[in-house]
Amino acid sequence: MPNLRDVKQRIKSTKNTQQMTKAMKLVSASKLRKAQEAIQTARPYGHKLRDVLNHLVARCNNDLHPLLDNRTGNRVLLVVITADRGLCGGFNSNIVKMTQELIEENKDSDISLFIAGKKGLDFFQSRPYPIEDKYLGWTKDFGYLKAVEIGEMLAQLFVENKSDRIYMVYNEFKSIIQQEVIREQLLPIVPEEVDGGDMTDYIFEPDEEAILEDLLKEYMTTQIYRAFLESSASEHGARMTAMDAASRNAKEMIGKLTLFYNRTRQAYITKELIEIVNGAEALKG
Amino acid sequence: MADKLFLALVTREREVVVDPDVDQVNIPGFDGDMGIMADHAPLLTILRPGRFSYQKGDEEIELVISHGYAEVTNNRVTILAESAEFLHEIDHERAETARAAAEKLLEETGLEEEAFKEAQDKLFRALARLETKKSD
Repeated sequence: MPNLRDVKQRIKSTKNTQQMTKAMKLVSASKLRKAQEAIQTARPYGHKLRDVLNHLVARCNNDLHPLLDNRTGNRVLLVVITADRGLCGGFNSNIVKMTQELIEENKDSDISLFIAGKKGLDFFQSRPYPIEDKYLGWTKDFGYLKAVEIGEMLAQLFVENKSDRIYMVYNEFKSIIQQEVIREQLLPIVPEEVDGGDMTDYIFEPDEEAILEDLLKEYMTTQIYRAFLESSASEHGARMTAMDAASRNAKEMIGKLTLFYNRTRQAYITKELIEIVNGAEALKG
Repeated sequence: MADKLFLALVTREREVVVDPDVDQVNIPGFDGDMGIMADHAPLLTILRPGRFSYQKGDEEIELVISHGYAEVTNNRVTILAESAEFLHEIDHERAETARAAAEKLLEETGLEEEAFKEAQDKLFRALARLETKKSD
């Protein structure tokens, strides 16, 4: 017969775990609200900026600016955005998986990585790809200025011809329970075709080149900024869902264990009773 | 012929104004202030920090914006600004402090060109905010 004390111990430890997952869920929920708001208010700016840029670039010659230089080269830099912490379901492993796919697709190229988040580094530091730079602990101190800094660094790598193509891999926030891994080309900037719209006779102040220069940089920074915000909101969402599931599993397990505990306890009592009755019968006889 | 403008003013933090029928928009363009009405020619400009306003019927709404872009196409005015505040949101005390700090910086000689420009920008932003107070 199983030892009752062991079962009791297990129930207790499962209860502790449940308490922890519940607390983590609550923390993520409150962080999520802030992160979600940040990304939802940042999106319109990004979309509008993209529209304006498309209009402008459609009119300009593509070799007007080095950041638009769509050259053939085989040095690829991947900007991989993961979280600093785990316990958030498939959040990090999905990113890693997509990154590996991307590496596989570009296996003829020279791949290097820019890694944000400790979890990404944990995985890739023992792999054979050079790590250009890393950004750990970003979930704490990320802000627009940091995006500017990263943007400048990446732009420099690109302009100085050390990298021919830069991709970003990150989680996009779809809803609280859904994230989608996105891969996006950051540099060179490829404008979308704009349909319709009379592009002739635009007035530029001060002039095309100056606006283009300004706008491209702003666009790139905004892209990076947005990717990090998306990732942050996704992380909290993923953690919340994961912890919710964990709490529910713990509850189920506690239920099962308690049932088992009670049954066993009853069985013990029944057994003892039978022994006493048997003993009494034996004495009578 | 449309006679109304669609105005969208967004910053990184929020959508400040989205209004589908506006009569006139006044923006602080790179080379000077501009008034934009319906059927304006397509335009793309960098914005100076300064006063931005738009008219809707008899009402005129004023804001202060800092560096950004404005695009006009097909009666749509899109303003992308680093920051935008309605007049009542402006913190004059903070602007005054910012102005003093920027002026002090500018008085120093031997500033690098970039630092000088930055200080100048700060001063312009502070001035733009303060200017609106006097006219209140």
